[in-house]
Amino acid sequence: MRSLVALTIANLRSFVRDRAALFWTLAFPVVFVILFGTIFSGGSSEYQIGWVDQDGSPPSAQLRAVFAENAPVELTDATLDVAREQMRDGDLDGIVVVPDGLADAIAAAQGGQPGAPLPVTVITDPSRSTTSQTVVQITSALIMAANLQASGATPVLAVTPESLQTNSLNAVSFFVPSILAMALMQLGVFAAIPLVQQREKLILKRLNATPLPRWTLVGSNVIVRLLIGAAQTVIILGIGLAVLGVEVVGNPLLIAGFVILGALTFTSIGYVIASFARTEEAANGITSIVQFPLMFLSGIFFPLEVMPEWLRGVATFMPLTYLGDALRQTMVGGTPFAPLGVDALVLVGWLVVTLGISARFFRWQ
Amino acid sequence: MTQTPAADAPRRPSPPTDGAVIIVTDARKSYGAVKAVDGVSFEVRRGEIFGLLGPNGAGKTTTMEMIEGLHAPDGGGIRVLGMDVRREATAIKNRIGVQLQTAALYPQLTVVELLQLFGSFYERALPAERVIADLDLQEKRDAQTKTLSGGQQQRLSVALALINDPEVVFLDEPTTGLDPAARQSLWQVIRRLREDGRTILMTTHYMAEAEELCDRLAIMDHGRILDMGTAEELIGRRFKERAVRFSSERAPSDAELSELAGVKRVTRDDGEVALYTSDVPATIGALLELAGRNGIDPENLMIRRASLEDVFLDLTGRALRD
Repeated sequence: MRSLVALTIANLRSFVRDRAALFWTLAFPVVFVILFGTIFSGGSSEYQIGWVDQDGSPPSAQLRAVFAENAPVELTDATLDVAREQMRDGDLDGIVVVPDGLADAIAAAQGGQPGAPLPVTVITDPSRSTTSQTVVQITSALIMAANLQASGATPVLAVTPESLQTNSLNAVSFFVPSILAMALMQLGVFAAIPLVQQREKLILKRLNATPLPRWTLVGSNVIVRLLIGAAQTVIILGIGLAVLGVEVVGNPLLIAGFVILGALTFTSIGYVIASFARTEEAANGITSIVQFPLMFLSGIFFPLEVMPEWLRGVATFMPLTYLGDALRQTMVGGTPFAPLGVDALVLVGWLVVTLGISARFFRWQ
Repeated sequence: MTQTPAADAPRRPSPPTDGAVIIVTDARKSYGAVKAVDGVSFEVRRGEIFGLLGPNGAGKTTTMEMIEGLHAPDGGGIRVLGMDVRREATAIKNRIGVQLQTAALYPQLTVVELLQLFGSFYERALPAERVIADLDLQEKRDAQTKTLSGGQQQRLSVALALINDPEVVFLDEPTTGLDPAARQSLWQVIRRLREDGRTILMTTHYMAEAEELCDRLAIMDHGRILDMGTAEELIGRRFKERAVRFSSERAPSDAELSELAGVKRVTRDDGEVALYTSDVPATIGALLELAGRNGIDPENLMIRRASLEDVFLDLTGRALRD
C-alpha cells in the first residue's frame, strides 16, 4: 500500500512536470472544446421561437411585432405540427401558440366585459432547463405587458407552459460529451507510450529487481490514468457548463461510472498496444492507427445518424461509439444509439477481452 | 574482511557463517538457438568482491540477472542467502541491491524523490539523505535526474542499489563510460561497501578494474566460465615467467634474442619486444650485452609480470579490448 501510494505520487509528479504530456492531455481537449463551441454556437444568442398564430387577427399580428421587437428571439411562423417537428429536430428552442379568439377576448375586455384569460401556450424542453426557463420568462413578461396594454387591469391572456422532449441536441451539447469521450480514449490508448518507454529504457526491469509486486505497478498506472481522466472530465464539463451553456441533465453517478469504465477500457486497450509494440516508435505508430479510426468512425465528430449505412456498421464495433453514446445520453440527454445497458456491456466486453490479451502477451522486459 | 558499523544507523547483523552467499550450480539460459549462459557454476563468499570478467556478449549480465531473479534459468540451481531464487524471489529481492546498466529512471523526479520512491518498495530502507551523503550526491539532491552528468547518474544508480541496506550488491559494468576521476571515486565507493561487510558481485570488461577491485574473478566467454580464482592465481597458473619488454627501432632478430640466457619465448608487437624469461637478471644482463655489441639503444626497458590481459589472451586466443 505504501509503495502504491509512493509510486502513484511519483507518476503524477512525472506527469505534471512533463509539459508536453500536460498539454496534450489537459490543454488540448480544452482548445478543442472551445474551438468547436465557437464554430457551432454561431455567435447568435437569440432564441429560435416557433410562432403559431391560430387567431390570424390584427391584435395577434401586433402581439407578434411586440415579441419580435422586445425580446432576444427570432420568430419563425409555422403551424403547430410543423413547429413541433422542427423543435424535436433541434431547430427551435421553443414554441409560442397564440390561441383562436384573441381578437374577440381583447375586444370584450376593452368593452368592459372580460372573460376568463385565454391560455397562450409556451412549449419548451425542460431538460434544457436554462433555455426553457428563459423562454417561459420572456413570454410571460411580454404577455403581462400585452395584458396591461389591452385592458389595463384584468388579464386577457395567461401563459400555460407545456413541455416537449427534443430529440436532437444542439451542436455544442453534442460535442462536449463527444470530446470528453475522445479525451478519455486518447488518455487510455496513449498509456501504451510511457509503458513501452519504461520497458525500452529498462525502467520496468529495474523495478522488477525490487520486491515491488507487479499489481502495484499496474494499479498505480491505472490510478494515475483515472485521476487524469477525472481532471479532464472536470475541465471539459466545466467549460461546457460555464462557457458554452451546455446543460447537464443526467445522474452524476451514472456519468462518473461511464467515465471510469471508459478510462479503464481504453487504458486496457493501451496495454494491448504496449504488449505488441517493441519500440517507442512502434507504440506511437500503432496508437495513431488505433486512434484515428476510433475518432472518425465512432460518431464523435459526426452524429451516427448522418453516417452512410456501411460506416454505421463499422461504428457498431467501435468501443468509442458506445462510450460517446453513453456520455451523450447521461450528460445531455442525447438520442440513444443503444440502451445504456448495452453501452455498458460493450465497454465491459472490450475491457475483459483486452485485459485477457495483455495478461497473455504483455512482456515486462 | 573488516566490518565498520556506521554509528548513525543500525546494520543488519551478519549471520554467523562465513560461507557462500551466492551458489550457482550449472546455470543455463538460452535465447532461441543462442546459449547465453551455458552451464555456469561458482560461489561467492560473504564479504568479498567477486568479478565476472569477459567481453560484451560473454554471458556476464545474463548470469548476474538470473541471480537477481530477473530471468528464470532454463536449468541448474541458484541460491542467494540460502534461498532458492525461483521460489523465494521476493524475499531475496528485499535483501539484495541491484544496479543495472540503466539510463535515467523517472527523469522528471529529483534525486531525493527517486530514492524515497525506491525506499518505499522495501520492507526496510535507509534514509534517503544518508545514501545521498554516502554517494556524494548532496549537491544534486533536488535536481531532476535527467540533469545529472554520466558520473552522477552512475552514482545515483549505485545509491538506488543501496537504499534497502542490502547484504549483497550487484553492480553491472558500474564504471563503463566514466572518466578516470569518476571511475576512481566509484572504486572507492565499492571498496567502502566491502568494508561495511557487504558482498559484491560485479561484472566488468576492464582488466584494470578487475585487478584493482576484485578479490576473486571468473573469466567468462561464450556463456562459460573459463577460469576462476584471485588475479594472482589466474596469472600464476599460466605464467611462471615474467616478461622483459623494450622497444627499439633496430631490434636483434628473434633467433638472436631467444638464445639469450633464460629466455623461453619472444613476442613482438609494433616494435615492442617481450622476452618471457624465468631468470630476469640473467636475461637483462645478456640483453644489454647484445645491445652494446650491436650498437642498439633499447628504450623503455621494463620488467613486467603477466597480466589478466595475458591470461585472457591465453584462454581465448584473442585480446580483450575496451
